[in-house]
Amino acid sequence: MKNLTQNPLALSGLIIIVTVLFVAIFAPWLSPYDPNYIDIHSILLPPSYSHFMGTDGLGRDVFSRMLHGSRISLLVGFVAVGIATLIGTFLGAIAGFYRGYIDSIIMRFVDIMLSIPTFFLILAVIAFLTPSIWNIMIVIGLTSWMGVTRLVRAEFLSLRNREFILAAEAMGASDYRLIYKHLLPNSLTPIIVSSVLGIASAVLTESGLSFLGLGVQAPQSSWGNILTDGKEYIQFAWWLSLFPGLAILVTVLGYNLLGEGLRDLLDPKNKNQKK
Amino acid sequence: MLNYLIKRLLWMIPMLIGISLISFFIMHLAPGDITASESAFNPKASEESRQKLRALYNLDKPLMTQYSLWLKRIVKLDFGNSFASHQRPVLWETKDAKGNVSKGMIQDALPITLMINLIGLLVIFALSIFLGVVSAVNQNRWPDRLITIIVFVGFAIPGFWLALLLMYWTGVTHSWLPISGLHSAGYEKMSHIAQYVDLFKHLILPVSISSLGGLASISLYVRNGMLDILQQDFITTARAKGLPENKVIYGHALRNTLLPLITIIGLSIPGLIGGSVIGESIFAISGMGKLFFDAVLMRDFPVVMGILTIGSVLTLFGNLIADIGYAWADPRIRRGISN
Repeated sequence: MKNLTQNPLALSGLIIIVTVLFVAIFAPWLSPYDPNYIDIHSILLPPSYSHFMGTDGLGRDVFSRMLHGSRISLLVGFVAVGIATLIGTFLGAIAGFYRGYIDSIIMRFVDIMLSIPTFFLILAVIAFLTPSIWNIMIVIGLTSWMGVTRLVRAEFLSLRNREFILAAEAMGASDYRLIYKHLLPNSLTPIIVSSVLGIASAVLTESGLSFLGLGVQAPQSSWGNILTDGKEYIQFAWWLSLFPGLAILVTVLGYNLLGEGLRDLLDPKNKNQKK
Repeated sequence: MLNYLIKRLLWMIPMLIGISLISFFIMHLAPGDITASESAFNPKASEESRQKLRALYNLDKPLMTQYSLWLKRIVKLDFGNSFASHQRPVLWETKDAKGNVSKGMIQDALPITLMINLIGLLVIFALSIFLGVVSAVNQNRWPDRLITIIVFVGFAIPGFWLALLLMYWTGVTHSWLPISGLHSAGYEKMSHIAQYVDLFKHLILPVSISSLGGLASISLYVRNGMLDILQQDFITTARAKGLPENKVIYGHALRNTLLPLITIIGLSIPGLIGGSVIGESIFAISGMGKLFFDAVLMRDFPVVMGILTIGSVLTLFGNLIADIGYAWADPRIRRGISN
């Protein structure tokens, strides 16, 4: 943690993420207005003291909607990546531990999943099921575990014949114990780094889906669908397009900076590059 | 080398079967089917005509039978006809009994998406090699810092948002660039040169947006690769024997950094194809992405499955070509394969 504060990129990433977390948790108390309150007397007002980010085409306060929208991107990021990490770690651990034909089957399945254009797959499933936030999180999770599987498998393969593992095995440790007590804890670094970077891409995917109208549905606000609504008014209400895009940009930037910073800090292979 | 090629080609068969299975069953996750959405547009559709439709497309048979019927057809490259009212063939043009030719939907859309992405790849290559080398040579000085910041922002910026802003700024406020489609009105009557200029102008925004993500990741890759290689012994040797720094950087270090890029390009194909959905929807370009998006909303099963399959096949071939290119370019790999 001490080193994290010395890496300016990682530190700024951490500050961004903590701020977004804070905003998401306390959104109901921080919002000056009800995010779904429609006020036809204050339609498309530009940013001012009473409406920091102006109002939208239905007179709703954009600032309040943005605060509530942060919850969506946070939720989607964490749940989708949670699902992907669980599946990826499980399959990668089994493939790397048992090797042989189990490994071959799992890795061929990974190859197949990697060659289907992911966004097509997500789009198809979302459009066929009803678009809802839970479906989106599950589908993003189910289509983004392949990288983690490869990482965990590679890590397990390189650890599998180390002396401390062989010693534990010789002492009669069960497969379960070997995997959970010895191999997994030693493979955590790449899992953590790829999870943090995965959250960034999940947030981007969700906003893309919302932008296409297949994401979070109205009246629930997400940064993506505020932007989609704003698209119609771009000629005379720039604030509707500017703020949600900036929010997505800054949040994704935060996760990427933190992820790369953690990689530099935790990965001994990178040490010779940094001075 | 020949053995390797044959092995790789044979491996593609089980891969293709796996891909077709996954795409087929995903299509049938949906509650309701094409007959439901089609009759919704046409309130006069009777239960009887819906049944006919189901029989025609084998929707009434068990799933496994549907799959094997579908597989039998796609082996012959017959992806069927669209469910939409124009009923165009999904993949390639066909002639009907009267001799009328109807063009395939993918036949029309694929060249457009390929063109945008190939130009995009060229842009990515040229710019990211430049940025990566400048960054690596000036490690931790201001050009490196500046490029790193640009790269991180490039990673994080939502492409559709940037597209929207650029469209508004260059197209609406200033009218510098056309903002939708690939051709202006009256394209057919222009001279050849004017046609190219027109196409070029229409391509600037879509190509910039589609190359954004790749640009960021590949310049980061070139930077880190260069830094790695610049520390190796053969670089020290090259410097020690008095080679000018330019030759060390461009002749020795860069060439070795670029080799693995071949594989990375192969791996980026599914992302590029998938990424075309948002860009093509925003700029109203009728490529694969827009075709797929429209088909998904219509529940046009043959088109959706055709594009998923063709997209995955393209990816497989892209990876194959990348691996062969890598082996061709790097003698170490080539020797490893033939042993």
